[in-house]
Amino acid sequence: MLTRCKGFAKHKRQECCEMSTTPTKRVGVFVCHCGLNIAGTVNVNEVVERAKKQKGVVFAVDHKYLCSEPGQALVKDSIKQQHLDAVVIAACSPAMHETTFKNVVHSAGLNRYNCEIANIREQGSWVHDDHEKATAKSHIAVRQAIEKVKLNEALQPITVPVTRRVLVIGGGIAGIRAALDVANAGYEVYLVEKSGTIGGRMAQLSETFPTLDCSTCILGPLMVEAYRHPNIKLFRLSKVEEVKGYIGNFKVTVRQEPPYVDVAKCNACGECAKVCPAEVPNEFDMGLTWRKAIYTPFAQAVPPAYVLDSKNCLGLLPQACGECKKACDKFGTSCINLDAWPQVHEFEVGAIIAATGYELYDATKLTEYGYGTHPDIMTSLEFERMLSASGPTSGEIRCPSDGHTPKEIVFIQCAGQREPETGLPYCSKICCMYTARHAMMFHHKVPDGQAYVFYMDIRAGGKGYEEFVKRCQEEKGLLYLRGRVAKVFEENGKLTVKGVDTLSGKTVEINADIVVLAVGMIPSSGSHELASKLKASLDVYGFFAEAHPKLRPLESPTAGIYIAGAGHAPKDIPDTVAQASGAASKALDLLSSPTLEREPTVAKVTGELCSGCGICIPICPYTALGLSPTTKVAEVSAALCEGCGTCIASCPSGALSLRNLTDEQILAMVEAIVAS
Amino acid sequence: MQSYLYFPGCTLRTMAKDFDASAKASARALGFELKDMEGWLCCGAVFSNVNDNLMVKAGPNRILSRAQNEGNTLTTLCAGCYNVLKRTTFHAAHTPESQQAINTFNEETFNGGVEVLHFLEVLRDRVGFDAVEKAVRTPLKGLPVGAYYGCLLLRPPGEMKLDDPNRPSVMEDLFTRLGCTPIDYPARTQCCGSYLSVSSPEHSEPLARDIMRSARNSGARLLAVSCPLCKYNLETSHDGAAATTGDEEYLPIVYFTQLLGLALGLDPQQLQLDAHQMQRIREAQAPGVL
Amino acid sequence: MATNFEPKIVGFLCRWCSYAGADLAGTNRMKYPSNISSIRVNCSGRIDPTLVMKALALGADGVLIAGCHPGDCHYTNGNIKTLRRFKLLQKMFDQFGIERERVRLEWISAAEGDRYAQVVRSMTEQVRSLGPLNWKNRVELTA
Repeated sequence: MLTRCKGFAKHKRQECCEMSTTPTKRVGVFVCHCGLNIAGTVNVNEVVERAKKQKGVVFAVDHKYLCSEPGQALVKDSIKQQHLDAVVIAACSPAMHETTFKNVVHSAGLNRYNCEIANIREQGSWVHDDHEKATAKSHIAVRQAIEKVKLNEALQPITVPVTRRVLVIGGGIAGIRAALDVANAGYEVYLVEKSGTIGGRMAQLSETFPTLDCSTCILGPLMVEAYRHPNIKLFRLSKVEEVKGYIGNFKVTVRQEPPYVDVAKCNACGECAKVCPAEVPNEFDMGLTWRKAIYTPFAQAVPPAYVLDSKNCLGLLPQACGECKKACDKFGTSCINLDAWPQVHEFEVGAIIAATGYELYDATKLTEYGYGTHPDIMTSLEFERMLSASGPTSGEIRCPSDGHTPKEIVFIQCAGQREPETGLPYCSKICCMYTARHAMMFHHKVPDGQAYVFYMDIRAGGKGYEEFVKRCQEEKGLLYLRGRVAKVFEENGKLTVKGVDTLSGKTVEINADIVVLAVGMIPSSGSHELASKLKASLDVYGFFAEAHPKLRPLESPTAGIYIAGAGHAPKDIPDTVAQASGAASKALDLLSSPTLEREPTVAKVTGELCSGCGICIPICPYTALGLSPTTKVAEVSAALCEGCGTCIASCPSGALSLRNLTDEQILAMVEAIVAS
Repeated sequence: MQSYLYFPGCTLRTMAKDFDASAKASARALGFELKDMEGWLCCGAVFSNVNDNLMVKAGPNRILSRAQNEGNTLTTLCAGCYNVLKRTTFHAAHTPESQQAINTFNEETFNGGVEVLHFLEVLRDRVGFDAVEKAVRTPLKGLPVGAYYGCLLLRPPGEMKLDDPNRPSVMEDLFTRLGCTPIDYPARTQCCGSYLSVSSPEHSEPLARDIMRSARNSGARLLAVSCPLCKYNLETSHDGAAATTGDEEYLPIVYFTQLLGLALGLDPQQLQLDAHQMQRIREAQAPGVL
Repeated sequence: MATNFEPKIVGFLCRWCSYAGADLAGTNRMKYPSNISSIRVNCSGRIDPTLVMKALALGADGVLIAGCHPGDCHYTNGNIKTLRRFKLLQKMFDQFGIERERVRLEWISAAEGDRYAQVVRSMTEQVRSLGPLNWKNRVELTA
């Protein structure tokens, strides 16, 4: 049994406390020259000789490049020949080669944790000019490592089973792509989507840059494939309510609202909608048209059935209307059931992919542009719907105010973006491209019109992007004005855009028929709530944070959660699809084996010392600590614990310890530092 | 009687005595008083905040450190003084390193402990527009007035916080209570040209004309301002001839406190409105009370 | 104070930010005094105030605790807990008559190699000018 005295400095540990009953290990010390990186400043021979004198060290040797093949072989052979129990490598930072040497030690038959690194390069030879002092510090580093490795436990990785199923949250192009990749690899996918259909924002687009592909034409087949895939189970009208557990073993609760329409029977005849008295703005058309409470989200929705929006229905409890059901029974396929209830689904998954997409920044906040004061001042997504053949005007460009064909149209890029004081500080990446496309499509449909684009910069970095923008500008005679717009206002019934053209140095006033604001992309509403359920971090703007901005863009810092699409950061469709496939591949990597190994350097409770005070429990950010209902003392869920050690510092009785970084180990290292 | 510590500023003691007089008279009619602070000095106008040179900030800081001896609010009327003093207070609270240098130089201590108020804020937030409306004796039946804000009352929005910088409404709300018909027009927050009227009038005149044109086109027949410089620029924008009749574009300009005083039933002489100005005001109105 | 006094400084560096920052100082060949030796912990939140006291009692003249900037902690908010504990630790020092400058809490990110070097330089000189801690004579409890 391990006990630990919290007594003060007066007590020498060996006198009053029991120490670990493991016999002293036979330690081997290997000092690397690293060419001249270390040996040029540190007297390596002296370090070797001093090491030999340390208690427990039975072997010490130097080598020019320990990380090389012969260097590693030396370590391996020495372990065998000298019957070493533990190894200290005095070389570069553990960040460089700790894993390498742990593997060497493992291959020689020792536990990985019987290997410690002494950093005598990045924090030794490279930062101290004085050779004597650098050498003296290296002695200390080596001694620290020796004392630590002597006390290390031979830990085995914690094995947890993996549920080989993936949850994808969000049914836009990112979610669809990720779901298809996982499903095609042979695993089950549960795809949870909050609206009545999958497709997301891409379904709202008319064309996509730079190829001017019809968006629905390229998205449609993917939607159908996902819907029909035997390995994909779609939960539409659903939201994630709760997520418990940890990587490989998430327990998810999803709440699904009923559609009130039987998907198998509905033939989308529309008789129900004809008689429905409740009308609300159509979200798919960004509020430019109306829809009924019973509706189909859009023509190519999948499944191709109607859905009853119970929030805007006149009432179901008690039933206030019921006309839709009557019409369906009489003229349709009798597929409406108004006595349906939400369902709660509980299931287990091994990995979760968050693909929650984006919304547009609230343009009413941009008071200088007057959005909301005049119907002909629109956002880019509204204009997109107008361009679309399935949109409010069947693809014709018309002024929302009175329906006449606009001749002068002004596009304002960076609307409320790249503006730290009054809007979003960041750039949404896609607006320069879609604005060029919008302006070009406008000219295509209104050949005698004139489009003006106010811009600060043109960001066209993708494949074929620059060529596309140039083509739009040159072919169609678009007028690009480098400058900002001060104000959009109405005077004498005409919309006036007052801006500046910095390249000619003149202020510009344009009487516009329509003004289109390229407003910024922000995370979808509800992503904040979801992130806290997943315990996934968000960045300062509310987008899902990545584990490392350069090297790990597909995963959340929270193990087992992967991210894809505009919910991570503003991006275009090619990047979204690439990231979705990448996230799927990460999830598949996780699922590739039935078990998962977790680092065993976790917290440990010595039950006899624990009084059940519970101070540690709220300290843990991973809820890995709890009070056992039977023994009433603290217990650690080893699989959830990330090994930060914050709970150890909070424990008043010393019942908590961190495996392989105990207080005694730390103090042993401190003693190595301060002993002269 | 409730008293508000008051900073008049140079111009309200010289070229704009009518602004000062009409404000004080209106205040008295509303049951409070504007009490001149001790030892006030020139705020430095826009030049105090135009660069990082700490020397130009010594003056406004000295004003505020003296004011804090007499109270924790300081009310002003001139938009320029309001802008300088409010921004100085903001910076005193948010940039301790430079504030320390200024305090050492001034041999005073000011760290942002005075709340700078505009007279409009006093009316809106402290007295309350309801109370103002109750005190109205002669509603200005339908007077189509365009409130002109200019720049300095509202910007920079993070520091001024008087109202929305693009769509403010405080003056229009007040005028509605006085019985006017406030006119919204696009150029009401546009710059009047400021001191460019002195250094390069060819650049500032078109700006001022544009403001008047915009107001007139939207139906305003009178402009109400809160800044002597704006008033000067607007008045002189039409070939330097202030208050010339016969120029179709030209709109007469008054201080908002003069309209307030008229609505409260005060004598035009108390508000230093001369006969000519009163004539213009009557012309601007529908047949009515005045 | 004696000019050839070499203070002994113990550094507790968090693995994700400050230890990486210290490594970066090395990669950039920055120079700082060798009086400090570092102990890598996973999170600055691991540091119990009693560990700091014990380090001083064992002979350290100064202790540096370095963690991630608030908001950047790899374990969400371990560094905030460190900050709270550090404030209490400072109060204890005042009661013991130990100079506050002997123990520092710094936020050093993985990109701030130069800051690490600067902190070590300034701390070493500061502790040098304070002289040896001499715990035995100042604080030692009698048996």
